[in-house]
Amino acid sequence: MHLYTTAKFRALQLSPQMFTLLRAPLRLPSRARPLTTVAQELARGVLPASNSPVCSTLQFFNSVTQGSGQIPTYRVLDGVGIPIEGAEIPDITPEFARRLYENMQLLPAMDSILYNVQRQGKISFYHGEEATIIGSAAALANDDEVLGQYREMGVLLWRGFGINAAMAQCFGNYEDKSGKGRQMPMHFGSPEHHFHTISSPLATQIPQAAGVGFALKRDPARRNKNVACVFFGEGAASEGDFHAGMLLASTIPTPTIFLARNNGFAISTPAHEQYHGDGIAARGPGYGVDTVRVDGNDVLAVFNAVKEARRRCLEGSRAVLVEAMTYRVGHHSTSDDSFAYRGRQEVENWKKIDNPTTRFRLFMESRGWWNEKEEEELKVKLRNDVVTTLKRAETLKQGDLRDLFTDVYGGEEPWNLREQREELARLVKKYGEVWEPWQKELKRFKDEGKKLVD
Amino acid sequence: MFITSPSSFRPLTRLSALRSRRWYSANTVEAPPASGHLTSVASSQLLRLTRETALRTPGLTWTDESDSDPVRSMVGGRETRKMNVYQAVRDALSIALAKDDTAVVFGEDVAFGGVFRCTMGLAEEFGRERVFNTPLTEQGIAGFGIGIASMGHTAIAEIQFADYIFPAFDQIVNEAAKYRYRAGGQFSIGGLTIRTPTMAVGHGGLYHSQSPEGFFVGASGLKIVIPRSPIQCKGLLLASVRDPNPVLFMEPKILYRSAGNSLPVEQVPIDDFALPLSRAEILIPGSDLTLLSWGTPIYHCEAAINILRSPPSALEPLIPASIRSAKIELIDLRTILPWDVETVVESVRKTRRLVVVHEAGYTGGVGGEVAAEVQKRAFLRLEAPVKRVTGWE
Repeated sequence: MHLYTTAKFRALQLSPQMFTLLRAPLRLPSRARPLTTVAQELARGVLPASNSPVCSTLQFFNSVTQGSGQIPTYRVLDGVGIPIEGAEIPDITPEFARRLYENMQLLPAMDSILYNVQRQGKISFYHGEEATIIGSAAALANDDEVLGQYREMGVLLWRGFGINAAMAQCFGNYEDKSGKGRQMPMHFGSPEHHFHTISSPLATQIPQAAGVGFALKRDPARRNKNVACVFFGEGAASEGDFHAGMLLASTIPTPTIFLARNNGFAISTPAHEQYHGDGIAARGPGYGVDTVRVDGNDVLAVFNAVKEARRRCLEGSRAVLVEAMTYRVGHHSTSDDSFAYRGRQEVENWKKIDNPTTRFRLFMESRGWWNEKEEEELKVKLRNDVVTTLKRAETLKQGDLRDLFTDVYGGEEPWNLREQREELARLVKKYGEVWEPWQKELKRFKDEGKKLVD
Repeated sequence: MFITSPSSFRPLTRLSALRSRRWYSANTVEAPPASGHLTSVASSQLLRLTRETALRTPGLTWTDESDSDPVRSMVGGRETRKMNVYQAVRDALSIALAKDDTAVVFGEDVAFGGVFRCTMGLAEEFGRERVFNTPLTEQGIAGFGIGIASMGHTAIAEIQFADYIFPAFDQIVNEAAKYRYRAGGQFSIGGLTIRTPTMAVGHGGLYHSQSPEGFFVGASGLKIVIPRSPIQCKGLLLASVRDPNPVLFMEPKILYRSAGNSLPVEQVPIDDFALPLSRAEILIPGSDLTLLSWGTPIYHCEAAINILRSPPSALEPLIPASIRSAKIELIDLRTILPWDVETVVESVRKTRRLVVVHEAGYTGGVGGEVAAEVQKRAFLRLEAPVKRVTGWE
């Protein structure tokens, strides 16, 4: 105290009384009167604009859990479908379980057939994944707004989108309502199924989801009834938009579920090159967001976690983060050969040891809800359904060539688009009738290029 | 061209507010001088200073109480009020919020009234649920707005300076502009409007002065609108908010407080009205040269026309008497994307000469787009190459 002269107080612009207050022991017993001034906050042992207690030990922190352990992964079934000790099996009927299983099986069925079709050059792009998607879809309400990345076709199928509509999008034929054949395969969308159209730029849907959640909260018909749920991979979570989205949904509280699918790879980049922290889940608390990590290959764990996330989300009208740990068994996409950067054996092992469909099947069999015969019948049925719709989809023509120019703007068509459409019409008329490659190409369109001009 | 007397420069201490937007707070913001920094606005003949002229603004349509009412064109009984640009923005936002329950206004520091006062009192009037601050994240603001608009709501986002719109470039170009097209028309974000202060302010340096409209002209699906005056601002902003497409609305910030107090100020109709998008406006008719611009430089163009007509004595020897009587047609483009090619080309076919003026740099500026299109359409009529008077690079 003797070091602080009157001059010193003046320099600090502090009165001796204030000085005494600042020297008061940390964490004073709470007093009845409100603490409002900065000095009083300091005297209380916390810093202004924070509830951080002041301490005298120089300590650095890394993990969000005590003792720098990792955030645990919530699981219900073990690798062979047996409930783990203490886990709560959700109250589901055999019918519901079968529906989960059939939808889970539908994804690899479509995946393998479309994948092979792609290899023959019929469609241009495909990739897929299952338990995380079906488990989440089942836990959400069918009219919750979903914003996906591009591995979430299962949500649409769960909601009754239909294989035909999915095929139409992949082939870009005239039945494609998702995007009139404009986007690459797997870029689905359907307002009817509350599924926002997928776009390729990663993570852009994350802050958008916060906005969707905000609109839901403002809509009297949907307030406290619906959530926005946004899916993204652990690679996409490295984008600035992830940061923006989490920040927005936490500071402007909205019912938004952030669902990270951590499958260990972003194309060739393993997760350890993607981040140095404890996955994506460790970031949630930094934003003040309730967070859980779940075994993404355990459909019941995902179902339970997302169901609880949704309940909290609605109850507090606040964001929740779910990190589902999975493993990308397939290649990133058909443009990718993943054995260039990981061992074939590693993948084969994973398929055997921790296959999400096998796990759930074993669980169902143990309850007497499923048997070998049903398994065979389902496989045959799914294969037939997929092959039939595929054969149909590939024979359908593309929409009108004119649709190359529509929907760029709502309302009046601008002069530049009108003129460019008319230019194409002139070119089609001039070359389309005589030049064989054009003749052939034009036949692929429903209007054969004839409706380009009004 | 810049008729600025030394006394109109603000003391440096007042400029601290513009140094870094991160330092803005309600306590440090100081109003620019009432005269603004562009004294040519003070003497502009382009502003509508009386009720009668304001109500006769070309292209103005009244938007009446209910959407089902026919748009009224009757002027009788309409009132006007003196407003400068920031007040006109505020007035338009207030109408947009009052008439549309889904409309929300958000951005950095908008809740206390905005660093340019454009959202003054709106949070108090409409509540913090509808007029609110966001964290400092431009990509987030744009993405959040897209999400709100995708649900059919009206989202009016603010980017604090156009210079800081680039973090949102991906959301605007890849997402907002393409939202309807890629969804086969099933989803749209027509309710999104992004407002942002733009252009030079006299002392804004690199990051409080930019005119980035040229970077967005390739983003088909997006509209870009730049008003020149209070009436224009209100009418075009209300049209933008209600347009079925995402709109980037760029407000020339030097005009926010220009034309205030004792200086000429526009009489702005207090009712709800709109001015058409994608329509240029001929401000001064002429037959010898077309002068095309938008935003602040409109007033520089007007000043230049006046100097040409009667040059100050120092300039007299430099301006041949033969060209002083040239009749120059001044056009305000108003909408940069999609722009009004018809009005511009028709004018050039008549005058046979075109000069495009913008603050942004020459290469890649909007002037290049206009010049190329006009030369394509009026090749045989042009008597001189299209000239671009722009910022240096």
